[in-house]
Amino acid sequence: MSTDETKVRPLHPEGAPRNPGFAGITGEFDLTEAQIRGTEYVGRRPVDGGHASVAGTLPYQIADRNPDAPLFEGPYAERLEKILTRYPDRQAALLPALHMAQEIRGYLSPQSMDEVAARLELPPAYVRGVATFYTMYNLQPLGKYLIQVCTNISCNLCGADAVLDAFLEHTGNDMGEVSSDGRFTVIEAECLGACGFPTVVQINERFFENVGTQDVPSILEMLK
Amino acid sequence: MAYPYKHPSETLVLAKYFGDPEARTLAGWEARGGYRALRKALGSQRKEIIDEVKASGLRGRGGAGFPTGVKWSFMPMASGKQHYLLCNADESEPGTFKDRELMRWTPHALIEGCLIGAYAIQASHAYIYIRGEFFEPAQILARAIEEATAGGYLGKDLFGSGFDFEIILHRGSGAYICGEETSLMNSFEGLRATPRLKPPFPAQAGVYGLPTTINNVETLCAVPHILNNGAEWYRQWGTEKSPGTKIFCVSGHVQKPGNYEVPLGFNFREFIYDICGGPLPGRTIKAVIPGGSSVPILRGDELDIGMDYEAMAAAGTMLGCGSVIVMDDTTDIVKQVRRMVDFYAHESCGQCTPCREGTAWGAKILRRIEGGWGTEADLETLLEISDNMAGKTICVLSDACAAPITSSIEKFREDYLALIRRGESLARARTA
Amino acid sequence: MAEEATPTELITCTIDGMVLQVPKGTRIIDAAAQLGIDILHYCYHAALSAPAQCRMCLVEVEKAPKLMPACVTTVMDGNVIHTQSEKSLKSREGTLEFYLVNHPLDCPVCDQSGECKLQDYVAVEGRAMGRLAEPKRIIGRDDFGGDVLYEGDRCIMCTRCVRFMREVAQDERLGVVARGHRMAIDTFFEEGMEGNIWADNVVDICPVGALVSKDFLHKARSWDLDRTPSICPNCTQGCNVTLQVRDDEVMRLKPRPNEEVNSYWMCDYGRLNYSWINRGGRIEAPLVREGERLVPTSWSDALVRLSELAKGAAGGVSAVVSPFMSNEDLGAARRVIAALGGGEGVFRVERGEEIVLPGFPQLALREDRAANVHGAELLGFTRAGDDKGKGGLQNAAVHGGVVFVMGDELADAPADFGTGASLFIYVGHVLSPAARNAHFVLPATTFAEMEGSFTNVHHRVQRFWPALHVPAMARPAWQILGVLLAGVRGVDAPATPADAFSLLGELRAEYGELRFSDLGAQGRPLPRLGALAETMGD
Repeated sequence: MSTDETKVRPLHPEGAPRNPGFAGITGEFDLTEAQIRGTEYVGRRPVDGGHASVAGTLPYQIADRNPDAPLFEGPYAERLEKILTRYPDRQAALLPALHMAQEIRGYLSPQSMDEVAARLELPPAYVRGVATFYTMYNLQPLGKYLIQVCTNISCNLCGADAVLDAFLEHTGNDMGEVSSDGRFTVIEAECLGACGFPTVVQINERFFENVGTQDVPSILEMLK
Repeated sequence: MAYPYKHPSETLVLAKYFGDPEARTLAGWEARGGYRALRKALGSQRKEIIDEVKASGLRGRGGAGFPTGVKWSFMPMASGKQHYLLCNADESEPGTFKDRELMRWTPHALIEGCLIGAYAIQASHAYIYIRGEFFEPAQILARAIEEATAGGYLGKDLFGSGFDFEIILHRGSGAYICGEETSLMNSFEGLRATPRLKPPFPAQAGVYGLPTTINNVETLCAVPHILNNGAEWYRQWGTEKSPGTKIFCVSGHVQKPGNYEVPLGFNFREFIYDICGGPLPGRTIKAVIPGGSSVPILRGDELDIGMDYEAMAAAGTMLGCGSVIVMDDTTDIVKQVRRMVDFYAHESCGQCTPCREGTAWGAKILRRIEGGWGTEADLETLLEISDNMAGKTICVLSDACAAPITSSIEKFREDYLALIRRGESLARARTA
Repeated sequence: MAEEATPTELITCTIDGMVLQVPKGTRIIDAAAQLGIDILHYCYHAALSAPAQCRMCLVEVEKAPKLMPACVTTVMDGNVIHTQSEKSLKSREGTLEFYLVNHPLDCPVCDQSGECKLQDYVAVEGRAMGRLAEPKRIIGRDDFGGDVLYEGDRCIMCTRCVRFMREVAQDERLGVVARGHRMAIDTFFEEGMEGNIWADNVVDICPVGALVSKDFLHKARSWDLDRTPSICPNCTQGCNVTLQVRDDEVMRLKPRPNEEVNSYWMCDYGRLNYSWINRGGRIEAPLVREGERLVPTSWSDALVRLSELAKGAAGGVSAVVSPFMSNEDLGAARRVIAALGGGEGVFRVERGEEIVLPGFPQLALREDRAANVHGAELLGFTRAGDDKGKGGLQNAAVHGGVVFVMGDELADAPADFGTGASLFIYVGHVLSPAARNAHFVLPATTFAEMEGSFTNVHHRVQRFWPALHVPAMARPAWQILGVLLAGVRGVDAPATPADAFSLLGELRAEYGELRFSDLGAQGRPLPRLGALAETMGD
């Protein structure tokens, strides 16, 4: 930890107020985490995606991540059908379909891209071009938890580099590698859009805000 | 204490219900006056709505500040074609996090705004393009859309007006460039998110070549308030050319970072030193980026300006999307500029050569300077690269990348020179 | 024409000080071309959509806030455009420097060197010295399958290849992968471009050495090549090509634009099927049978002796000709047959599946895999043999009168082919075993060694020019046969290909309505095609 301390310029000195990062709730605010995240309001979303207008957006990364699991069967087939109803052409369903393939299999293998291409009647090379454009499509197998540490300017000003280092150190990983127990992949992310609560860390679909180096062990503990 | 920080000097219109979980639900939103504006809108002529929004002077909150009513009036009303409303919720400008809070706390405000906007421009579909990383806001929005559908606010023949309407939530997949409206359209169509040439403008040929309007989340959220209370009410705040209130996102080295809603034209110094609590104890403010990473940097002593489009432009920078990034005297400016340029190199879509090569080259030079291997000639090269990039590409990402480079070299040249000199003296020591 | 053409509205603009009137809607790049101003560009290609992403064609338009891309911006009335102003020059210099940031500058080993747009533009408008002090990003080399090799580091990401495959080949095998400075062109993993016969066109349209032909890899430097306009001989489409020759050897075929025939494209079958043109072992002198032996002699001796014999020819003629021979050759052959008593003439041609280029459907790899099948048919020859171009020789093989063979190699002919003939004349290129039975063996030139014309599938008559030296004493068949006819009938022999062409009108009136010199480099269609079609059944 001593190396971390030299790197971090403490943004919030002892006693100064902090926002309620879920990694370190200060007790300063009277809202619960569930209230802020709206988990009760949202409830549990069905695998078939719910209403056609919102199907395909959620859920995310809840499946078993079986690289051989069939795509577009059962509730997933239903979800894709719903998605297709809301766009004038099949091509527009490509991004949601790739999200689904990734949700089911954990990452986008060439095989998955090919199957998505066939299902949407698109050229596979084109699907590959789209899949490689966007950062949220993982082209390699990942650990169970994808830890994305924002190191862009707002977080960087508040010590994001040290947080990233701490995650790497505590998981014993190199950047982008899958840890030996298959649980963690740590990568550097661009701005995650919660800049007022640095450092922002996205672990799978969930944001952790106000993460400091001292919070890293407890976060990893939560993921066990 | 409420969440997040609030300050008595704020003027709360859009951010009024931040921290109020009840406001999220349909019943809670209706109890707070929600969907009144929609009923009013459905009972008026489209032109009346557009004229009201025009009169209010509401300007797009996504960064460009184009008057919303005027944008709507560009839609060809008699074309007989399908029209689209796209809501740009791909908030990814570093320093910006207002749309996330808007969607998270007041999803129905956005739905209502979309409905009114779509009605005004004769669209029967609104697509909300939300950035892929925003799971929580997307979940909340999805729930709210389902609730609104069940409550009769979405669907066929709304309130007997003959107006059919659907809102579709479309998740992005991780690309900053999708915040640019034409690449958002491409991304929406399932293409690589490369910006399109303009003309044609979206109002002539947008998604699928059909007339399209693209509005930011905050813009659409403001529309119901304007319809409820009238243009004059909205104009009580702000300046003549920049009326109304705006949510500013504050991050970096301040005591109380967060979203604060103030009237446009608010004094920037007071905003930072009073509302945001000023710098951390014992620190002074060295630099401020007033509108997100794409706008020129201001020095800490240049803050006596109004927070509106015109005053910011007069100060040589831009209001952008109101993302205030504060840097105090401990900040290594070169490192932070390099980090921003790294970001643009990472996010450049790559189609235009000056941007594809210039952003990455600039980042490499900055990294070298940061490492102590720079020369003064590098600064001239950087300025020239910036000049060769800016204004030479289809979209403005290259201009956005050039802004921090040129403004930081102009205003913090000493910081660069210090690194260069230290590197040179280290090199001399090594060879001596 | 009774209907009046709607007058297109003309607008006036000024480009580099020159005033020009163009129809409304003309793009700046096209307007400038009319004045002879070449606006530098990479991504723009006349036959593809214009994404305006290379940013090379930015020009200054007075009153416009930014430089405008000339490839998509249309000229407005009163525009004052500067392509050589300080601002445009500075922009191009800056952009060219960006192009070189990650370019490996490996011109000494690059096949494109000498015909590379990056090289050309940098030489003319680039900076004298680069300022890059950083390491370059490396993409490496990728075999795209088929004949295409991708040298990623040289790529300037103009995406012409991707657009060709999407818009013209309509088989989207190529895509842009990744983004920003890491982006590259790639196929779908191992799928590659194998199997698409239009793939090599991406090599042609690549403005730099990023896409290169494996067939041509490191074979020749472009500045050593002599380029001759010609016609692809490998199917009846008659794609306009240039034969690119070094040291009297065809190194490659490249398409030559012709909007009526092949646009900018040609197929890989035609393009890569050129080694037969370079074939050695050619007949180098006229050979005359003396007993068991074929004895070389002079042309005058051979033709004098042949014409004497021909005057007394009897039993009719059975002819076998090749559809690779020119219109002039075939016309002369037809006249020889008539002069020697008349008879049947056949040709044999290899056939295959027709493959259409979807984005330019006038172009296809045609079923008949020889350039002049339609010329041969119009001039009265009939098809024989199978789809492999074999067989069909049974009549000629045993014919007791005159056997006349022109161009057909007789590779599959029976060993005793023509041995029963009273006179066996062989005009051709190589001496196959069956050809050795001939009484007269007369060495002819191929299309690549002579001037002449082919008639394509749409009855368009197109010229080609000599690209290779004539091997030894070989002569164009029309010339050989013309002299022979002069000896037999006492008529004037044609002296030039134009003379030979003008004689075609006596056989088919439609040819008579075209003049050889009017065919130009783009060819002309035969007039009155309908009438022609009716008489073809005769």
